[in-house]
Amino acid sequence: MTTTNAPSALISTERSARESPLIEVQDVTMRFPIPKRYREWVLAPLRPRRVFTALTNADLEVQTGDRIAVMGPNGAGKTTLLKLIAGVLLPTEGKVLVNGHSTLEQNAAPRSSVGFVFNEERSFFWRLTGRQNLEFFGALDNLYGRQLRERIEYLLELVGLPDAGDKVVSAYSTGMKQRLALARVLMAEPDVLILDEPTRALDPVACDEIIELISTTIHRNLRKTLLIATHRPEEASLLCNKVIVVEGGTIRGSESIKELNAKGITVLDYYRQLVVGGRPS
Amino acid sequence: MMSLMRKAVAFIKRDFSIESGYQAAFVMGLVESLMLLVILSFVGRLVSPTASGTLSRSGLHYFPFALIGVAFARYFDIMLRMFSDSIRTAQVTGCLEAMLSSRTGSVTIVMLSSLYSLISGGLQLLLILLGGVLLFGVNLQHMNVLATLLVLLVSVSIFVGFGVLSAAAIVWLKKGDPITWMLGGLSGILGGAYFPVDVMPTWMQKISVLIPVKYSLDALRLTMLQGASLATVAKPVGTLAIIAVVILPVSAAIFAATIRKGRKEGTLMAY
Repeated sequence: MTTTNAPSALISTERSARESPLIEVQDVTMRFPIPKRYREWVLAPLRPRRVFTALTNADLEVQTGDRIAVMGPNGAGKTTLLKLIAGVLLPTEGKVLVNGHSTLEQNAAPRSSVGFVFNEERSFFWRLTGRQNLEFFGALDNLYGRQLRERIEYLLELVGLPDAGDKVVSAYSTGMKQRLALARVLMAEPDVLILDEPTRALDPVACDEIIELISTTIHRNLRKTLLIATHRPEEASLLCNKVIVVEGGTIRGSESIKELNAKGITVLDYYRQLVVGGRPS
Repeated sequence: MMSLMRKAVAFIKRDFSIESGYQAAFVMGLVESLMLLVILSFVGRLVSPTASGTLSRSGLHYFPFALIGVAFARYFDIMLRMFSDSIRTAQVTGCLEAMLSSRTGSVTIVMLSSLYSLISGGLQLLLILLGGVLLFGVNLQHMNVLATLLVLLVSVSIFVGFGVLSAAAIVWLKKGDPITWMLGGLSGILGGAYFPVDVMPTWMQKISVLIPVKYSLDALRLTMLQGASLATVAKPVGTLAIIAVVILPVSAAIFAATIRKGRKEGTLMAY
């Protein structure tokens, strides 16, 4: 996608500089090999597979309590960046450190402190009820018995699905699946929550409800560090205190939303400026 | 250990809840097993006990010979496929990434994902054997239960190993699993499930020495139909045990490496 060196996006925080970041993305490049077609196997059998560079030389620091909106066009590399942080993907070059542990060497490290809310609706067992899904994924996160049952009740209540726990997931609306995905990721009480386009495919009312759930319950009450991929500037403004813009596999820039607002620049203006080179209004 | 047991229960509960919604498939499986017994019993009427050296030496009729062979070969085939099937299903349903993002390791997940198939396949095996005894008069009164269980344990370990290798092949290749294709296909012909190996040409008999299921079936027939002692089956059991000791850790390491490769190349969810 791109081979140019990206500007570093070290996000400054109000905290002491000596405090080590919760997450560090250090000069990370992610390349995906493209499978060879029959034609390539015949014409150039020895030529290495072509690669697609999804992210180039990315740098990022996330401190405890940060709420970062990751914005960028489709295919910009947002999901790749977030999956790298969650350890779902491992970097081709560079390092991702979660609580000081490299995901390359200790892949279990991100799994114990980072929860990833997949935007993939199909990540549940549709023939099971919401409760049964949570029971299963809770057991994978080492919760059992009474502790598991109590946690499920608490989370179903928390995400607004107290009466839907015994419905099969196939009968859930998209918004309900998104709520269930939030409940699943909160089972293991991770420090960091990664949400990949949490309001995608939601109607305006469901969208507002999810935003309210994230901003009030998850951020304010549970005090989670948040990384949210989004296309919606108003969502970034409502949920986050920082924004980073990814485009063409490169982190184009990062800024505190408060500082942007102080300069009279909206998140949308900032995004336009970095992505299409337009000037803020 | 306790945590692993609890996770195992969670996997079995999950699969039982899902599978209990497919009653038709369960009933059809039972009917298919019964039809297989009927076919084998008719074929048995055509085959003389002197048709092969193995049958005449042991004094066995064809039906009990084939019953043990086919019932266990089917069970081993389930084991060979269950890991790759569970991985493929998790990929297609979109749950694989969610499971691999949990605090449970990838090898544990693939192992536990197949427990239900192991149990339901075991039940099918028992029903086939029970059908053979109750409906077709196969005599298992002389069975050496301890020796049979030992042979079964070692055999299961081998097929679990090959099954995990097969799952690694699915993660890597997505479609077209060479392990199941080769081992499953060859076992059907050369493993001696339907007919004694000695009726085949000599060159095929030589290849059959390389097929693990042959050792399992030979030993199971001896212990189940003739009450052979552990000492009698020591040689095939020993061969199986050596294969198991090698294949289990190797397959687990290859599977973990394939998952890591999938994470590096972003192909874990591709299918």
